[in-house]
Amino acid sequence: MDETVAEYIRRTVLKIPRDEIKTMLQKWGFLSETQLQTINFHQIKENISQDVVQLCEENSADIKQAAVLDIIYNHIYPNKRVWSVYQMNKTGEETEFFDLTDFKKKFKRRLRSALKNVTINFREYEDNAIWIRIAWGTPYTKPNQYKTSYVVYHSQTPYVFVSVSVLKSNLPLLCQALVVASNYHDIREMELRSHSLNSLKDIVFKRYSQNFQTYYPRPLQERNVAPETDLRIIQENKNEKERIERVNREVFGDGPQPKLEFAQYKLETMFKSDPEMDVLDKKEPFRCLVKFSSPHLLESLKSLAPAGMADAPLSPLLTCIPQKARNYFKIREKKGVFPGSFVSP
Amino acid sequence: MESVDGAARTLPSIGRLSRGPPFGRAYGRFGLSPSGRLLPPAPLSQENADPQRTAFLLRKQWTLYSVTPLYRFSNAQLRDYARLLSAFIAAEKQKGLAVEVGVELDIKVAVSSLPDLKGSDQDQAAILVQLSSRSPASPKNSEEKLIWSGWFCCVSEDDLSENVPEDFTCLPLFLANGAESYTSIVGSWFQKTFDCCFRRLAISPLHLSWMAAMWTGCKVDKTACAMELVFSVPRLPQPLDISYAIHPEDAKALWDTVQKTPGEITQEEVDVFMDCLYSHFHRHFKIHLSATKLVKVSTAIASAHCDGIIKFLQSQYLTGVLMLLTELAISQIQ
Repeated sequence: MDETVAEYIRRTVLKIPRDEIKTMLQKWGFLSETQLQTINFHQIKENISQDVVQLCEENSADIKQAAVLDIIYNHIYPNKRVWSVYQMNKTGEETEFFDLTDFKKKFKRRLRSALKNVTINFREYEDNAIWIRIAWGTPYTKPNQYKTSYVVYHSQTPYVFVSVSVLKSNLPLLCQALVVASNYHDIREMELRSHSLNSLKDIVFKRYSQNFQTYYPRPLQERNVAPETDLRIIQENKNEKERIERVNREVFGDGPQPKLEFAQYKLETMFKSDPEMDVLDKKEPFRCLVKFSSPHLLESLKSLAPAGMADAPLSPLLTCIPQKARNYFKIREKKGVFPGSFVSP
Repeated sequence: MESVDGAARTLPSIGRLSRGPPFGRAYGRFGLSPSGRLLPPAPLSQENADPQRTAFLLRKQWTLYSVTPLYRFSNAQLRDYARLLSAFIAAEKQKGLAVEVGVELDIKVAVSSLPDLKGSDQDQAAILVQLSSRSPASPKNSEEKLIWSGWFCCVSEDDLSENVPEDFTCLPLFLANGAESYTSIVGSWFQKTFDCCFRRLAISPLHLSWMAAMWTGCKVDKTACAMELVFSVPRLPQPLDISYAIHPEDAKALWDTVQKTPGEITQEEVDVFMDCLYSHFHRHFKIHLSATKLVKVSTAIASAHCDGIIKFLQSQYLTGVLMLLTELAISQIQ
């Protein structure tokens, strides 16, 4: 077995949390159940990985099998990477029958015609998701298994989720291969990025509960709710609090929000101030860059108005994130009838 | 310790300002009373000082402490102090308070004086302590690696020593870069030897907004980096951080229209400046930044974090920023 393959397998196993190693190896299926029985999964990871490599040696593992283990790891822990979303377009309405074999063949052929040194692996999952792992080399060097890109393509949709990692220069080639293989016309990057692959899917596939602007049925007023235990406690601003809750629900929807970690706004709007203040009155935009970050951004934004830190309804610049399926914005002043309103191109 | 007379120090009298050297060469003063009128930091015209000598202080993250006056500290005994501190560190390691697990490091201590870093001639020269290590395995004259630096300084226009009893040296500001464990050991030795007290210097949002306003107004030669304010909203179910970065030219343009009198800054002007920024933000996002906590300010001059962490970015304004920090340290001591 190749030294580099052995090292790669060893490092991949080390990434896996100890309690998960056995399950993942079983999913991988490269080592037999009997072989797995010989490994002591209670020893330190360093030793477990050595044992695994030993067994892979016996089975003469090559890079192809090692790559599959890597795909399995990334499929279970996708949140370790940052994912961008791409949307493909095609002219014409016909939905062609998706031929997986044809897709794989065309994809590999297109990539390899431009770059000989690549390792390409595919793995299909139940939800029609095709995972593609690509290890990049150069015209003169073998593929570097540690410099990989991942693509998740749901064949029934025009969306592709890509985690590029380091070699961004290979991106155009990757996009081209995708378009050709899937019989689409072109592809564009959406302004949407996150660690949470599932949340990105929720957003583009509209799988989260959306707010309905038109009609929101008010829940029946319960007349005989149990009163406050202590009558000396009076809720101030009760109406305002209820209004905020209601407006928040309308704007964010009832269900859990998709999980994003950041949103970025490049502002190129004019600075407007109270004319009394006698401050800056320039004809040029006041250039700012605003970044919001949070372990769960949308939930965080949703809680701002009830906490008294923001008005309700919150600005559409923030609440439109799931509908517009983007978290990177460039905001310029809207010219014309309504000053103070914004467009995002 | 005799408390320094706060009033005279924080409220500059007009008479004093006019008696001083012409503005262009004046070191700015940074009193911090609520209605205080301050001078923005003027670019340092260094006649004798060599910016190269202090260049190593730039672009490093320094943790700030306030230090009470040191008893019986002498500039002439720096070598002795280095020796004693070195022995102390070795002893601490023997005791089992090893700072570095694994490799046994041979730690060398150097204590030196930085005469360039003072506000006026009456100030104490800054004292620099550096810990370097050389692995015992490597040859005798192999390079030593600097593993920790700390320096005491006092940058103030006043003569603080006139308010401090004899035998005491006033070096109220301490800056450390390197492992916390070394800071702790060095701090303990100084506390024991000179009967002083170290305390972490926090920077309040109020002072941070002063810094934002003051530093935005400074002229910088090269294309400067953005003026960035970082806000934190920790008490939500999911914490939120907001970074608000403004193009430095636009920020300066705004500040220039707010600041009415050259050479002076008032609390009101700082408030107006911040309110303008807050309302521009609110216009877009409907979020009240004033309800959040300002935790970090970053400009081309320097960046400051509320936990008491500073980074100097321009040598010409180094003394100006130190003057402000010295003031903060002194007010914390009182």
